[in-house]
Amino acid sequence: MKKILQLTLGIITSVGGFLEIGSVVTAAQAGANYGYKLLWAILLGTICLIFLVEMSGRLAAVSKHTIVDATRERFGFPFFSIVMLGIVAVAFLVLVAELGGIGLALQILSGIGFRWWAIPVSIIVWLLMWKGTFGVIENGASLLGLVTISFAVAAVKMHPDWGGAAHGLLPTMPGDGKAKYGFTAVSILGASISPYLMYFYSSGAIEDKWDESYIPMNRIIAGFGMTFGGFLSMAVLVAAALSLQPRGIDIEKFEQAALLMTPALTRWGFYLFAFSMLFACLGAALEISLAIAYFFAQGLGWSWSEDLDPSRDSRFAFTYTIIILLGAIPLLLGIDPIKVTMMSMALTSATLPLAIVPFLFLMNDSIYLGKHRNGWLSNSVVAIVILISFVLAIISIPLEIIGG
Amino acid sequence: MKLVRDVLDKKLTDREDCEMGRVSGLVMQVGERSQPRITHILVGGKTLWMRIHPWIARVAARLSRMWGPKRDEPVRIPWSRVESVGKDVKLDVKARDTGALDWELWVAKHIIERIPGGGKQEEE
Amino acid sequence: MKEINAELLIGRKVCDANGEKVGRIEEFRVTNTEKACLVEGYLVGTSALVDRLSAWTLIRPIDKALRGRVFSVYEIPWEQMDLSDPKHPKLRIPKSELRHSK
Repeated sequence: MKKILQLTLGIITSVGGFLEIGSVVTAAQAGANYGYKLLWAILLGTICLIFLVEMSGRLAAVSKHTIVDATRERFGFPFFSIVMLGIVAVAFLVLVAELGGIGLALQILSGIGFRWWAIPVSIIVWLLMWKGTFGVIENGASLLGLVTISFAVAAVKMHPDWGGAAHGLLPTMPGDGKAKYGFTAVSILGASISPYLMYFYSSGAIEDKWDESYIPMNRIIAGFGMTFGGFLSMAVLVAAALSLQPRGIDIEKFEQAALLMTPALTRWGFYLFAFSMLFACLGAALEISLAIAYFFAQGLGWSWSEDLDPSRDSRFAFTYTIIILLGAIPLLLGIDPIKVTMMSMALTSATLPLAIVPFLFLMNDSIYLGKHRNGWLSNSVVAIVILISFVLAIISIPLEIIGG
Repeated sequence: MKLVRDVLDKKLTDREDCEMGRVSGLVMQVGERSQPRITHILVGGKTLWMRIHPWIARVAARLSRMWGPKRDEPVRIPWSRVESVGKDVKLDVKARDTGALDWELWVAKHIIERIPGGGKQEEE
Repeated sequence: MKEINAELLIGRKVCDANGEKVGRIEEFRVTNTEKACLVEGYLVGTSALVDRLSAWTLIRPIDKALRGRVFSVYEIPWEQMDLSDPKHPKLRIPKSELRHSK
């Protein structure tokens, strides 16, 4: 019975981790500008994430080591420090974006500018981590994140062209504006394939004390959870295609994205959008703060666990405290969270090889995984993700400059 | 046994299974004609930063003299205290006695415990 | 007798007695006895790196395709390694007298 409960909650966790400001904004922009044409990018990102998340959970369950533990031990500190620098720097930018997302949602609900929300939001995020346990954060934030199902309800209510949507699942090129199209596709992939989710998930498996008996459940959580999250991202794109594209609305301000559910759900749609962003970004902010703190703690050999009192893992607690405080500063200075979001998605794409290449080695390591090493299918998928990640790494920054 | 694969950068645990950091370095005694031997495990200090660049080690040492438990030399644990080498390296020591937790205890006492809800480290 | 940091030897280029490059130190083979941990030999070469990363599952197909010409390893017995200058480790013998380990 306990495993079944964890299964349900585990799936909800994946959804909360998948759908956040990056995936919503990029999907909404894609729908507003290109209709259904970029559904293939969300599909591709979802498939890649399913495999990566399943592998992250398997590594932790079998070896009782997180990805960070294994990266430090297998590759040594000098190489690890390069990975840490790249991944943490970009994750921090994503955290700023998520804190900004919470602020923007509160701006929509209250009329008070997001800059004024920077400090209260940071304090609330910090308090949840300071006083909460891993289970409370994991399950509480994810249950609240269920409000994002309203995206799917809105999309279906607007009677989409299912044939057109099916066509969108296959890659096509637009007639003109190829740079901007490419940039949007790159941003969607960067929003989907987020390394911090892998590090968080593998740490969560250790926090939840998984062992080899959790391998089947891990497959189900990864498969269904990420599929559901990808499906909701597609719903955002479809809703934007139906509500924003006909009106020629190109999302430059967050309030424009908030209109994407109003044709289907009227005034409720506006508020549901705000609450969906609020809870999705809150969940993401908690996960990213934890992921960064886990990176430092696991990599440098400190005690760590969200279930311990802060004084029992003081350096871990100090790290997430500082990270959250620093994350509020760009918002206090009035830097636009949407711009930070787009930049962070492009940079996530650019630094993806740093996370995925070592990961491929770890998933074939018989000392960590024994008979549960990757088979040819998983290795092929990771190889494809590495290929995609190198292409993204090369083109994402130039595209950001030209098309962003 | 292979030193880099099996020992270096591995997690250290004490006799009570308390985590006490990672193997940052290893002291090797060499002589003109005698067989080299590993004599100590090094934890923390500038050892880790020296592996990247001596300049970073110098900056880290300067910072650690200004702040924290003011220890810039790494903790040296005799190899004779190694009980077993497996997924982690298990030592026959008590973590608190080695100095490996000095930073952890300092941050707990001077920062975390001063914030409401931070809890308290157990006194020994 | 002097003390050196073993971890700082990793990646150091090793030259033989004639100054010819042999490879880089990637691993130490040691024997752990009750009394001491004794260094038996130093593994030098790309193959030693692959071994350290436990990466043979991935690299073996490439190695086969390249007919074993790229990945090689030398195991240098402790008595053949001169560590008087740890920043420039060198062999006491020419490379040609080394046993090719792979």
